[in-house]
Amino acid sequence: MSASRAFRRDVAAMDELFAFTSDAFGAEGIDQGLRPIVDLVLEELFTNVVKYGRKSEAAVRVELSRTPGGVEVTVIEDDAERFDPTAGPAVDTTKPLESRKPGGLGLHLIGKLVDSIEYRYVEASRQGRTTFRKSARGAGKDGE
Amino acid sequence: MLAIDFGADGSVVISGRLDAAQCQLAQSFLDRVEGPVTLDCSRLEYISSAGLGVLLKTQKRLSASHGKLRLAGVSRHLCDIFRYSGFDQIFEIEAAE
Repeated sequence: MSASRAFRRDVAAMDELFAFTSDAFGAEGIDQGLRPIVDLVLEELFTNVVKYGRKSEAAVRVELSRTPGGVEVTVIEDDAERFDPTAGPAVDTTKPLESRKPGGLGLHLIGKLVDSIEYRYVEASRQGRTTFRKSARGAGKDGE
Repeated sequence: MLAIDFGADGSVVISGRLDAAQCQLAQSFLDRVEGPVTLDCSRLEYISSAGLGVLLKTQKRLSASHGKLRLAGVSRHLCDIFRYSGFDQIFEIEAAE
């Protein structure tokens, strides 16, 4: 079983995105302790599409399913430019306050929070697919 | 949803979810505070990189005038997010009991 829903490319759709994860976690019986992490990773991926992706009317589809002890989520972007969220620039989080600038932490946080993440882009159909997984066992990474 | 206002003890109380859709509300409020400020995060359920940007911008502004933003009542999950972001080096953070 899995849950799936499409969202318009608009930051204002964030509430609908979070309502979807809330519904899906309940329906699929997924550990609620994983939801803040899934919400955060989804928000970062979704806002990247909205802010930096191709200006398109194509909706962004999210699929969510339960895995043993965790969850797998796929974000599907049609009419997409290639953008690999797993290949973001390194972020130096040790810089002093005066050298820090707002922004750039989203992809860094994704790498810290998920157990695994993959990106695939199909040139012919101009479709980008990002799949990430998180389990309660893997939550040790979150609480390291 | 997000709510932000002054608490009875003069701290700033933030509650709900500080996501990309809500960060403008938080930034508008925090742009008006001065001096040392404690942000009571005990009812803050969620923060994303957009929300982290709000806190960082505020800390930089306050620091320039010898003020600072202190984060109090921070949940374990938010502590992890702050640590991964290096915010434990640039904010005074008090974890929730």
